[in-house]
Amino acid sequence: MKKKFKLASLAASVLLMGVSTFSAADTIKIALAGPVTGPAAQYGEMLLNGANLAIENINKAGGVNGSMLEGVVYDDACDPKQAVAVANKIVNDEIQFVVGHLCSSSTQPASDIYEDEGVLMVTPASTSPAITEAGHQMVFRTIGLDSLQGPKAANYVTNSVKPKSIAIIHDKQQYGEGLASSVKATLESKGSNIVMFEGITVGDKDFSSLIAKMQKAKVDFVYYGGYHAELGLILRQASEKGLKAQFMGPEGVANDGLTAVAGDSAEGLLVTLPPSFDSNPLNKSLVDSLKAKNQDASAVFVLTSYSAVQVMVDAMKATGGTDTDAMQAMMRTTTFNTPTGQLQFNDKGDLTDFEFVVYNFHADGSKTLAK
Amino acid sequence: MSEEFFYFLQQLLNGLTVGSTYALIAIGYTMVYGIIGMINFAHGEVYMIGTYVTFIAITGLTMLGIEYMPLVILCALIIAIVASCSFGWAIERTAYRPLRGTNRLIPLISAIGMSIFLQNYLVQAQGARDIGLPPMITGGWSFGPDSFQASVSYMQLIIFIATAVSMLALTTFISKSKMGRACRAVAQDLQMANLLGINTNRVISTTFVIGAALAALAGVLLGLYYGIANPYIGFIAGLKAFTAAVLGGIGSIPGAMLGGLILGVTESFTAGYFSAEYKDVVAFSLLVLILLFRPTGLLGKPEVEKI
Repeated sequence: MKKKFKLASLAASVLLMGVSTFSAADTIKIALAGPVTGPAAQYGEMLLNGANLAIENINKAGGVNGSMLEGVVYDDACDPKQAVAVANKIVNDEIQFVVGHLCSSSTQPASDIYEDEGVLMVTPASTSPAITEAGHQMVFRTIGLDSLQGPKAANYVTNSVKPKSIAIIHDKQQYGEGLASSVKATLESKGSNIVMFEGITVGDKDFSSLIAKMQKAKVDFVYYGGYHAELGLILRQASEKGLKAQFMGPEGVANDGLTAVAGDSAEGLLVTLPPSFDSNPLNKSLVDSLKAKNQDASAVFVLTSYSAVQVMVDAMKATGGTDTDAMQAMMRTTTFNTPTGQLQFNDKGDLTDFEFVVYNFHADGSKTLAK
Repeated sequence: MSEEFFYFLQQLLNGLTVGSTYALIAIGYTMVYGIIGMINFAHGEVYMIGTYVTFIAITGLTMLGIEYMPLVILCALIIAIVASCSFGWAIERTAYRPLRGTNRLIPLISAIGMSIFLQNYLVQAQGARDIGLPPMITGGWSFGPDSFQASVSYMQLIIFIATAVSMLALTTFISKSKMGRACRAVAQDLQMANLLGINTNRVISTTFVIGAALAALAGVLLGLYYGIANPYIGFIAGLKAFTAAVLGGIGSIPGAMLGGLILGVTESFTAGYFSAEYKDVVAFSLLVLILLFRPTGLLGKPEVEKI
């Protein structure tokens, strides 16, 4: 009796597994990899919002080559170790397309795995130049590089701000330290007076020693390379201690997580951001769809994620299938029409042209163009 | 007085502030170890819960229309202490008491599991993002020459005073009260205390509750001071506090206080005079050095083998 039951349940489970794979064959799965939990969860949400809207719109228009798209979410918590685990899982789940990852420190190790396994990856948010330096063919990005963002910030500093003593702080991670070094190099080449170049640890809450050091060195300008959590605390504590300095940060800091912690002390922060794609009248219907779902269309990575999906889908349509090798070859030879502009990729997989813009960030979360 | 002196003073004050907060949480670790010889890895999470409850209480009370700030903070403190103590007591009953008497490693693993469970419970309940609280107590004193002004904020003063008062209260409780005597007895020899009629289960629960209350106080103070909370702050704070407890001698309450202050001041001076990047390297190297020469910590009592 027991043996029969075991055999029956084994047969049933095999059948069920078979059924589930049958249904999966009709959809093309795109992995959406990014931080769903952890300190960078806000950005992960932007990636998901943009990508999901793209998948929705494309499915409404009939899908791709007769199949519907399906987005599958994977959480890497902005942690390189988890990102590697996620990449392996995506490969095991036999998914060939990835929109992600988000944090440069996660994208870097994951991209090595995708390249080995022939998985096409388009990142809408990782700006570290190192990601496309490895010569991977399967790696593309729909956002600019820190090697452009850094000099953009530094040029603005030397042309418009002209401070006397500059401190550059970073969070020792790939994104933050890379940017900080890039800014430092450009500022040094222009002869600026950099008095401090220091790293802080992510997860630290007390920066009073650092701020006292900056006060002693009479710092009047601080560039911070990193994410919003630590900068929010630094701004708040600097304001309490009476440090009078102009702060500047990259796109990883400009969101409501910063204002939640820093409050009024976030007023006047300079940020370099991708241009406001949401204010482009051609994107109005997308902005309206997002608004209807209560999602913020001006959030940094929403439309770049939409473009990432768009680019993949156009490549699938052009090659008539899902062969990632053929797709990556053709992606370098054509111009894509996306919400973030007419995109062209160079040999490394970077966009041939991407402008970062300097904005003034305000305590209520809005931003205005900096003069 | 020169600029250098005031800079030194400022870094010292910063260090003592951070150190006091480590000390408050370290006491929880050291007391539990002293009584049942177990490291309560979930203690950092109790502190984190204290911070969250504070934020929720303050937001809730201000929404109800109560404007008077000291009253709001006092109510939030009481609510946070009640919540943390309940959690501390419940953690002991569910994760540790059933495992009492087993191999030392088993409650340790249970503690780690409880820690992970609480972090993820908060992630589900409150979301994984940082939540912020606007500054509630602002202002302070500045002194020194114009070239460098050292400053102490009122919040920092409150942290010093609150820590000092609670340390004093705890030491008085342990040395003078009946329950305190029972705690010391159980710490010396649990089985003997049992034989002599002391309700050891109640003593152990009391220890957890006291540790949780101090962690809640730390949660309130740090929540007001830094204004940020997320489900993972307990992990880092717990790690630092545990280090402080070991540095000062695990099992010794004055040791936890001393260890906390030393750790805080070391971090502060390293960041102020050397480099903020090496802050943790220096602090933990100090721990290694001290343990090499005094394995039981600065004020720890050497383990006596009872034959």
